[in-house]
Amino acid sequence: MPTLNALQRHALPSLPLVIFSALLLYLALQAPVLLEPYTLNLILRQSLPTVLVCLGLATVVMVCGDDAVAGGIDLSIPASAVLAAGIVASQVAHHGTPIAWAVAMAFAAALLVGGVVATLVVLVGMTPLLASLASSVAALGITKWVVDNRRINLSEPLIVYLRDAELGGVSVSVLWVLPAVLLFYFLLHRTRWGMNLQAVGGNRDAAELSGIAARRFIAQAFVLAAATGAGAALLLLARGSGFTPGSEENLLLEMVLATYLGAAFSPRRVVTLWGAVLGAVLVSALSVGFKSIGVDIFWTGCIKGALILLVVASSALARKSAA
Amino acid sequence: MTTGTQPGPVLLQLGRICKAFPGVQALDGASLVLARGEIHGLVGENGAGKSTLIKVLAGVYAPDSGNVQLDGQDLPALTPALVHALGVRFIHQELHLVPHFSVAESVYMGQELQALWGLDRRAMRKRTRQFFNDVLHAQINPDALVRDLGIAERKLVQIARALIDGAARVVVFDEPTAPLPGGEAEQVFAAIRGLRAQGVAILYVSHYIEEITGLCDRVTVFRNGRDVARFEAVTAASADAIVHQMIGREIGNLFPVRRAAVGAPLLQVNGLGDGAQFSEIDLQVARGEIVGIAGLLGSGREEFTDTLFGLRRPTQGTLRLDGKLLRLQSPADAVAQGIALVPRDRRHDGVVLDMAVADNINLASLQQCATLGLLNRRRANARAAQQAQALDIRPRNVQTPARLLSGGNQQKVVLARWLAAGPRLFLLDEPTLGVDVGAREEIYALVAGLAESGVGVIVSSSDLSELLGLCDRIVVLFRGQVVGEYPAASLDIASLMTLTTGSAQAAAA
Repeated sequence: MPTLNALQRHALPSLPLVIFSALLLYLALQAPVLLEPYTLNLILRQSLPTVLVCLGLATVVMVCGDDAVAGGIDLSIPASAVLAAGIVASQVAHHGTPIAWAVAMAFAAALLVGGVVATLVVLVGMTPLLASLASSVAALGITKWVVDNRRINLSEPLIVYLRDAELGGVSVSVLWVLPAVLLFYFLLHRTRWGMNLQAVGGNRDAAELSGIAARRFIAQAFVLAAATGAGAALLLLARGSGFTPGSEENLLLEMVLATYLGAAFSPRRVVTLWGAVLGAVLVSALSVGFKSIGVDIFWTGCIKGALILLVVASSALARKSAA
Repeated sequence: MTTGTQPGPVLLQLGRICKAFPGVQALDGASLVLARGEIHGLVGENGAGKSTLIKVLAGVYAPDSGNVQLDGQDLPALTPALVHALGVRFIHQELHLVPHFSVAESVYMGQELQALWGLDRRAMRKRTRQFFNDVLHAQINPDALVRDLGIAERKLVQIARALIDGAARVVVFDEPTAPLPGGEAEQVFAAIRGLRAQGVAILYVSHYIEEITGLCDRVTVFRNGRDVARFEAVTAASADAIVHQMIGREIGNLFPVRRAAVGAPLLQVNGLGDGAQFSEIDLQVARGEIVGIAGLLGSGREEFTDTLFGLRRPTQGTLRLDGKLLRLQSPADAVAQGIALVPRDRRHDGVVLDMAVADNINLASLQQCATLGLLNRRRANARAAQQAQALDIRPRNVQTPARLLSGGNQQKVVLARWLAAGPRLFLLDEPTLGVDVGAREEIYALVAGLAESGVGVIVSSSDLSELLGLCDRIVVLFRGQVVGEYPAASLDIASLMTLTTGSAQAAAA
């Protein structure tokens, strides 16, 4: 029995990664073009919006705990991203607003969404799952009103630059995201603030008994997560050459899958920043790979959904066997 | 009296502290004196006021009267932050650690060392290693994860976190060895002796008398909210006198006269263990018999009771009911086999507070109120009303939401639920916790009536007088094992206390 428990505890969290790796291997064998530099660059570029929102979700999971139902989840980050993208597109294309002002407005709107979620969780006492779900629905509704539920083409120079420009063969949008990743890594893993935030998520009672103001950290995490959504907005616009309604669905799927999959890379078997980033790149590779071999987009979504179930279920089972 | 360790200068004094809560005088002029470089034991029964005194010292409660002095200076109104700044540290019963943190990260949680480039992890690791070596005399890898440590090592991590800043002058240990398996406590004792050698004043709260007499220099006994005795030089021979001072009261006549004849064997437990909290437990209960289980926090009593109801899975041993081998995967299995549990936390685990009394009573036997799956409300209400009448549940209106009932009546609702289901074996876990004396008498009469009807009853309780007054036989658990089984009539409170606190074992050793 103890050996079986140990096996469950250590093997289960790795199971999704094993299956994931098998899928990627299959795709690489079916479509060798996947391994060519051009495709790898494409994978990296396509993953960037997911990388950014994963930074936000990883922060929330770290502060609220890795149980997706009882602990940390923020379903509103993609909605914040899409709301911000809609505001930028609408303001620039329909109202002639300078891009800098449009981006500022978008950030403010995203931070407002994050603030609402923080208030609902910290002050009202709602679970993050419900609070972020409700906020997500509201944000998406506002987005539809802002863009009139239509596609908006954008040829704004900044957007085109992010989409097309390269430096040394690497897309400039990678250089836009890399400092954000490094900043988050520094904040979460190299500062007292980050350690305290992780302590709150690891054992809230222990953190509070150590004098850490748990509620403050939780609120800050949700607002920071919304900021990553705002950052992802420009990349979404660049990737799509404008605003496309419904882009939040795929972003949500990939964000959740990548973040929780990333826990399998951690020796401590917890959600980490680098694990989430690597997870985002792998998920992008999966999407590009499926497209390369002609798999229907609906089936791709179905497979991603199944992988999410597998990731979360194996994590829950591993946690249960450790208890 | 033999000469013990000479006390250093007085460091902490709590003088004539009073603290009242609605309906209870928790502290009634309690005093305590703590000197530098001593280990001072604080003992007393549940409800004696120990926890309240510690919370006053921690700044969690403000006393109604009395004073607190540190180094001869009267302290102003205490707050947790002020108490911490004054160098008073608390090592709580619960470990409060983050499982995936390393030892160094856990030790420095909330007080991380910073460098220009961010966290100074190297310094934290180095100082953690040094602290364990020099102060706690333990070899623990600062990079090890908390979840990979044994419980004693985790306790040492908890101690290190409280003391790493070097500013501790007073350390309060609250039941530090309760979660530790037998044999692992010595690591903690060595650490505590190391602290004493450094001149730290240590207040050690424990129910385990052999620890108190083996570790402490002086002991203060609390009873009924005040200090009633102080032992200046403590040895193993002091155990009986300490226990005598802890009890110092008489049992009232709350208990019915037992008339039931013990019938055929009902429950047979052989070698039951859960691999963690208890092991090798043998127990038999006959029909019509009331068997008590006595044991302190950490004895495995609660976990054993939970296992009998399928709330925990045993890793060894067998359980038979009426000769049939049981493999209980869940409480539903236990209920299906005719086992009922009246849980210790009735508000959380017993009654459904927002449901009516009638619905609560019928909860475990809805099939008797339904036809083809459709609930017959009239039949359900009539059944509930009958039970409420028989158990004198007040108010009599069975549509009253359970949250509006008193604690005693809520407990009777839980009993009524199981009576309606007609079990063979009743498990009662702390059956009169938080119940007033009038309701207690009624509940005891009900329990005696259960036995008289031929049901087997197990009463798991920390109230020794309850066990002695109600039970036919008492099984004593200590650190997860049965240390004895006695007819209740052969024991008194002092002897039962001695058995549950382990002082009988210490005296025999």
